[in-house]
Amino acid sequence: MANEFHGQVIALLPRLRVQALALTRNRAAADDLVQDAVANALAAQNSFTPGTNFAAWMHRILRNRFISTLRKQRETTDIEDVPAGAFAVSATHEDRLVLKELGNAVNRLPADQREALFMVVLQGMSYEEVAEATGCAVGTAKSRVFRARRQLQVWLAGEESAEATTEEQRIERARISGRDRGARYARNGSGVGEHNLLA
Amino acid sequence: MDMDSSDSSKPAPSPKAPKRKADRAGEDAFDLWLQRGLHKLYDDIAAEPIPPELMRLIEEDRTRRDK
Repeated sequence: MANEFHGQVIALLPRLRVQALALTRNRAAADDLVQDAVANALAAQNSFTPGTNFAAWMHRILRNRFISTLRKQRETTDIEDVPAGAFAVSATHEDRLVLKELGNAVNRLPADQREALFMVVLQGMSYEEVAEATGCAVGTAKSRVFRARRQLQVWLAGEESAEATTEEQRIERARISGRDRGARYARNGSGVGEHNLLA
Repeated sequence: MDMDSSDSSKPAPSPKAPKRKADRAGEDAFDLWLQRGLHKLYDDIAAEPIPPELMRLIEEDRTRRDK
């Protein structure tokens, strides 16, 4: 039982590292966050119910730890890292520029959108799993991913759909009349990362 | 304002329909590009070795609980 738990933690570490980077946008801070979250998870392992979703449980611990640290510090790390993939020697100069631009744009997204986008696109999590890990409704998880994608499209491709045609867009329309109107988009390109997680 | 989704009758195609289809196709293409781009950016980070101190933390806990 204990062995299985520890094996699950180890298997999940690569994904936790990327998810920590989604939250912190800083490599050193991400490594610290993973370390702290693992320590918390080990201490709380008796509270995990075998057979339930371990990844969602672990992501929730990572997220709570990040929020707890934010509350204590009330400031964010200023140094935002663009992932090393943007500097891959195998890529062409043009590819590296585009990837660097993508990395910078991703860092400009509100933290809750970046977090949900990474979970779905990089971790392959379902919207239901994202909702469970982040404590929101499934519709909210869908909306966050949708908004992240469309915001990146506007920033990087200069495109914006004129018509709302999908279910996600209808969700978005409903949401912007609701409580998170103020957090709809990153307005000034910096400092927009974490405040929405503390709300 | 919302129409009843159970209504199976389809409205006649509006002049905006091709534009919407093109928008959706553009979004799908962008989403695919985005997925590839994010994997290029972050897969190397995921593949990095686990820091020894983190492995030690986990293994020590495992050993302690196995006793």
